[in-house]
Amino acid sequence: MAAKTGFQPSVIYQDPKAAIRWLEAAFGFELAIYIEDDAGGFVHCQMRYGGALISVGQEWDEPFKSPLKLGGKNTQLTSINIASDVDAHCALARAAGAVIIAEPETQFYGDRSYRCRDPEGHYWSVSQTVEEVTREAAEERAPGLKITGWV
Amino acid sequence: MDVPPISPLLFYRDAKAALDFLERAFGFETRLLVDDGQGGVIHSECAFEGHVVMVCGPPSGQWASPLDLGGKRTGSVHVQVQGGIDALCEQARAAGATIEREPADQPYGDRVFTCLDPEGHSWSFGQTLQIMSADEMTKATGHVVHAKP
Repeated sequence: MAAKTGFQPSVIYQDPKAAIRWLEAAFGFELAIYIEDDAGGFVHCQMRYGGALISVGQEWDEPFKSPLKLGGKNTQLTSINIASDVDAHCALARAAGAVIIAEPETQFYGDRSYRCRDPEGHYWSVSQTVEEVTREAAEERAPGLKITGWV
Repeated sequence: MDVPPISPLLFYRDAKAALDFLERAFGFETRLLVDDGQGGVIHSECAFEGHVVMVCGPPSGQWASPLDLGGKRTGSVHVQVQGGIDALCEQARAAGATIEREPADQPYGDRVFTCLDPEGHSWSFGQTLQIMSADEMTKATGHVVHAKP
């Protein structure tokens, strides 16, 4: 059984089976648990990435909607932290059909990251730490921000 | 700071109030806060057992609080805890969480409760009581369970 730990985002899709295939192709997520009913209908799914889990959900209850039903609005996004080569990760996602919202770019706080939208309009942010930046340096690079708790 | 491989980011109209709620209700700890200088939060990390949830707001563009969408939401967050799930539910209730499902043992071996926070984001908390194989889960739930170790 998959190790369960920490914060596990659930992402709601109109077509969860298609979403599973897409998340495998675009981000390299692996199926951890897949639950179906006797008729082969989707019930629940967890996918694994680097020891973490996400749930792929369907619109099982009225308040839970795909962004497709909300004019593209999202109430949450999922952040993926990778160890190396964010540019290659972005190329793979693009090839799988991700809409790249922000191309890979090194941020003032030392991460190189990109942001994309999946086929149902969920947003994903993918980051790799490329530079250790002190709080003082970050505040200098981004005037106007007040940073608390940066160690 | 160690960053876990996957972290959810939630959008709130009042991100600072949300962080305060998450600390009081669930015992999370805000370990990083980036204030935009106008009362908004452009980034934060709220930690629990070495993992983080990020809280931002007020949202704009394609991002929204469930408050802006009539309570609708495009996801939820599950938190797996080591112990004390009933006490955690009481703590959440006392802090103003709306408990949707009271703590109950599930056929797949976890004890789970679910709740809404003040802006309508959905949270579930689970504590493993019994580790079950895919076959055992199939028998217990009546669904067909495929699991990869």
